[in-house]
Amino acid sequence: MKLSRRGFLGWSGTLVAAAAGCQGIRAIGDLQAATYEAEVPPQGIEGWVASVCQQCPGGCGIQVRTITGVQDGVKRAVKIQGNPYHPISRGSVCPKGVAGLQALYDPDRFRGPMKRAGARGQGQWQPISWEEAVATVVQRLRDLRAKGEAHTLLLMAGQVRGLMQSLLLRFLEAYGSPNYLSTASGCEASRQTLFLTQGIAEPIAYDLENSAYILSFGAGLLEAGWSPVRQARAYSHLRQGTPGRRGRLVQVEPRFSVTAAKADEWIPLRPGTDGALALAMAHVIVSEGLYEKEFVEAWTFGFDDWQDAAGTSHLGFRSLVMNDYRPEAVSALTGVPIQTIVRVAREFAATRPAVALAERGAGFHTNGLYNRLAIHALNALVGSIEVPGGTVIQRRPPLTPLPPVTRDAAALRGLAAPRIDGAGTVKSPLASSVVSALPEALRTGSPYRPKALFLYYANPVYSVSEFVRHPELLDAIPFIVSFSPFPDESSRHADLILPDHTSLERWQDDPIEATWGPAVLGLRQPVLEPRHQTRHTGDVLIQIAQGLSGTVAAAFPWKEFSEALKEGVRGVAGAQGGLIMTTPFEEARQRRQADAGFWLPTYKTFDEFWSQVAERGGWWDPAYSFGNRERAFRTPSGKFEFFFQTLRQRLEALTRRGAASGVGLDGLLDALGIQARGDRVFLPHHEPPRFVGEEKEYPLHLIMSKPMSLAGTRTANQPWLGEIPNVRTSRPWEIAVEINPESAHKLGIRDGDEVWLESPGGRLRLRARLYQGIAPEVVHVPFGSGHAAGGRFAEAWGANPNRLIGGEADRLTGTPALFATRVRITRA
Amino acid sequence: MARWGMVIDLDRCTGCQACVVACKAENNVPVVAPSQAQAGRSMHWMTVIPEVEGEFPRVRTRFIPRPCQQCDSPPCVKVCPVQAMTKSPEGIVSHVFARCIGCRFCVQACPYGVTYFNWQAPTWPADLREALNPDFAIRPTGVVEMCDFCHHHLQHAREAARAEGREVRGEGEYTPACIQACPARALIFGDLDDPTTEASHLARGPRAYRMLEELGTSPKVFYLKEG
Repeated sequence: MKLSRRGFLGWSGTLVAAAAGCQGIRAIGDLQAATYEAEVPPQGIEGWVASVCQQCPGGCGIQVRTITGVQDGVKRAVKIQGNPYHPISRGSVCPKGVAGLQALYDPDRFRGPMKRAGARGQGQWQPISWEEAVATVVQRLRDLRAKGEAHTLLLMAGQVRGLMQSLLLRFLEAYGSPNYLSTASGCEASRQTLFLTQGIAEPIAYDLENSAYILSFGAGLLEAGWSPVRQARAYSHLRQGTPGRRGRLVQVEPRFSVTAAKADEWIPLRPGTDGALALAMAHVIVSEGLYEKEFVEAWTFGFDDWQDAAGTSHLGFRSLVMNDYRPEAVSALTGVPIQTIVRVAREFAATRPAVALAERGAGFHTNGLYNRLAIHALNALVGSIEVPGGTVIQRRPPLTPLPPVTRDAAALRGLAAPRIDGAGTVKSPLASSVVSALPEALRTGSPYRPKALFLYYANPVYSVSEFVRHPELLDAIPFIVSFSPFPDESSRHADLILPDHTSLERWQDDPIEATWGPAVLGLRQPVLEPRHQTRHTGDVLIQIAQGLSGTVAAAFPWKEFSEALKEGVRGVAGAQGGLIMTTPFEEARQRRQADAGFWLPTYKTFDEFWSQVAERGGWWDPAYSFGNRERAFRTPSGKFEFFFQTLRQRLEALTRRGAASGVGLDGLLDALGIQARGDRVFLPHHEPPRFVGEEKEYPLHLIMSKPMSLAGTRTANQPWLGEIPNVRTSRPWEIAVEINPESAHKLGIRDGDEVWLESPGGRLRLRARLYQGIAPEVVHVPFGSGHAAGGRFAEAWGANPNRLIGGEADRLTGTPALFATRVRITRA
Repeated sequence: MARWGMVIDLDRCTGCQACVVACKAENNVPVVAPSQAQAGRSMHWMTVIPEVEGEFPRVRTRFIPRPCQQCDSPPCVKVCPVQAMTKSPEGIVSHVFARCIGCRFCVQACPYGVTYFNWQAPTWPADLREALNPDFAIRPTGVVEMCDFCHHHLQHAREAARAEGREVRGEGEYTPACIQACPARALIFGDLDDPTTEASHLARGPRAYRMLEELGTSPKVFYLKEG
């Protein structure tokens, strides 16, 4: 007998009446069970594969559960959990990590190579074969090279590291283009901070677990920190990891973010004044003699006033903060009470180890680099450099270096051309890449017109505000190739789509960056066979290079990417150090052995090494020797520099030759928008921030954040994450503008109203949410949703605040000043 | 016999919602369309409730992860006319979907709002369907569903233990998906009656409290206050 459920409802009444007693009710349950056909997903044989997540740049180790169907024989990935052996994730994941399954099974993925069928931007495609696709690219690149225009090939890449990045750079070098454009511009200022102060051009890493006091200036530690898993674990350890000790976290930023919510103290301040606040705290620490005298005397340069070889006397950091940054003056500038400045400065100096962080918030203004430098100077004052609980330098795994590239005449000519974005010139002297300068170059055709563009995990039409407003600018480039596995705004303008595998279908190394001290090499390996006709971009690059023949082909002697990968990893196996990822207990044992001078590897041959790495998910070297000061300071003075000699040399060199010669240093500083003069230019100082939009017309500051669920720009098409976009507003599929209730009241805006958010650059329709945790002069919109292209879900919800962002930048580093736009808000 | 319980350390929790997504993935909980979500029909067996207090600039927020509170005296079980809501000898409140007649008495009775009704048949775009967990059935329209501490994990753990001729250990062997995921180690799970487990230790500690304890539901989910 078969019953519908509704039919059963009618039945049940009769039955209950008929059965006098509990037994009857139980019987009903059984009857229902017999008639209900539960749908159960396909059953099969379980398997687990270790890999590395790629939902954000964190590089967390994951384990993927697979089920190979008994009936259909299909292997499916059904669960992602943390890899307990991986030192970054230690067995747990963040929400994005779990949702990695929905990247693999994204219903809107590109299914194979295609060429454009309609006009640019329409997103109409015609499938082609891989052979034809590669041949087309080879033909176009060969023609360019033959015409002596190799330098007009641009390669734009997002977050990529390890061998894949080396191969992209290698391709450009062999082919002859200087134009590697990185859309990961957020790291540039962090890298320059470490370079100017310590002489090492890498993003700063922090040993947060062991810190007792974290003073964070706008860092999104608990939102989109790198890696979210490690940051959450570090935070948790800070709070409850050591019995009887609860570390402190102080968050300085205009908005009550998740990090601020979890902090002991939230200090709101006026946007762009972070550097001044840090220097006022330095004033307190110096004037009260609370700084680490031993460290400052032995390991810093430029603290006291000094004389150079020519006998000219220079301003020292001490005099600077004592004269210019009295708490009274800074309090008026920042809006932070004097008592708070003094108290936090004293706490920071009295608690060891204490660390000051400057990521995101403080760095996304026109004075971003100087803000970061001022904040990092606090670390030097308390000696929190290369000590447990302080700042550290990310070690790299000892991969076999690739053999040098032979540059032929065409390559040499191409590489001698100036970069398209003016990075490293007077426009942005410290930058290595300035994606936001590309729109201007495309408009003016200066210094030249690019003829080809490769997009690798980069989506400028979503992430670069000028391209968001004017995607048609890309159409000035006659040949665009996208390697994206997913549809996106920029790929719509491509002529060819050569889709990569998703991260769960391919081989890739993932050495972590800017996260923590020890060298960690995660291994991404295919969890299942590629689901569609996609191809590893590494393989495609090798095929293109080999099609180009000559020295370009010679630079890519491998059959496929995985062969090059094995060769690189061979260096790690032969390095006689570190260990295959394992349990903390086993690590402790091996570390003790290492301390005693033994290194007992678990492998004898490379094959053994490889299979163990594949099984466990990677290799790492837990030994991080703190206190190695010689290693930490590679500046001209060999010390931490309060006075940035490198910056001085760089700017002076630029005034001696090239475009800035003749205008002198002052002229160059004017062009860079730097108001300071004299020695202050080379010292951490507060540079008044510039904003886009007049205060009268646009009274509010717009700031953005990357919420946990949207830290990559790709995750908006994953329904699990779309349902939880922002933990505080907690409404599914909604991206709202947060506004202070007082400001909203003045404007007649109520909670949930539709509003227009307008900047000089454009406008955006959004829902307003009243929030007590935001300064009255600030509004906030989360970043990561609101896609014009990107799949059925991504296109259906949210808004992209990048549309509003004006063209200001920290010109020294070329970092877009994402928080420097003023807006107004009106009811829609 | 074990009495399984969860401890949620609010001091450690960062509101990341890894537990929320891990739960969705583990239990094949459907995603509802935005229009349905606006009507309050989102389904999250585990959710994170943000509590905002105060006025600028003295604001405080707490993030409160909220699974089924797994009451020792569960109102939902008391009102269920067909014994679909049951409490096992080990104290786990779970729901036998096949018995459910969709009357939603349990939805009314639960003071924590952790029971969800399937207003519509769950749908997944064909590709996303591939990632469904084979260990858990998909619920049809018209039945209620809720967190059962990933009861199927206990079944797996029990099978493994039985093969070795012993009981499931008090902690470490049986772990719900939300707890496996939590990067901040804010969720701790174990046998509350076994004094050696971390969960039982913390549940007795000075920071522990239970949600709406005064209702007499005796939840087996303990919260540890901040500080």
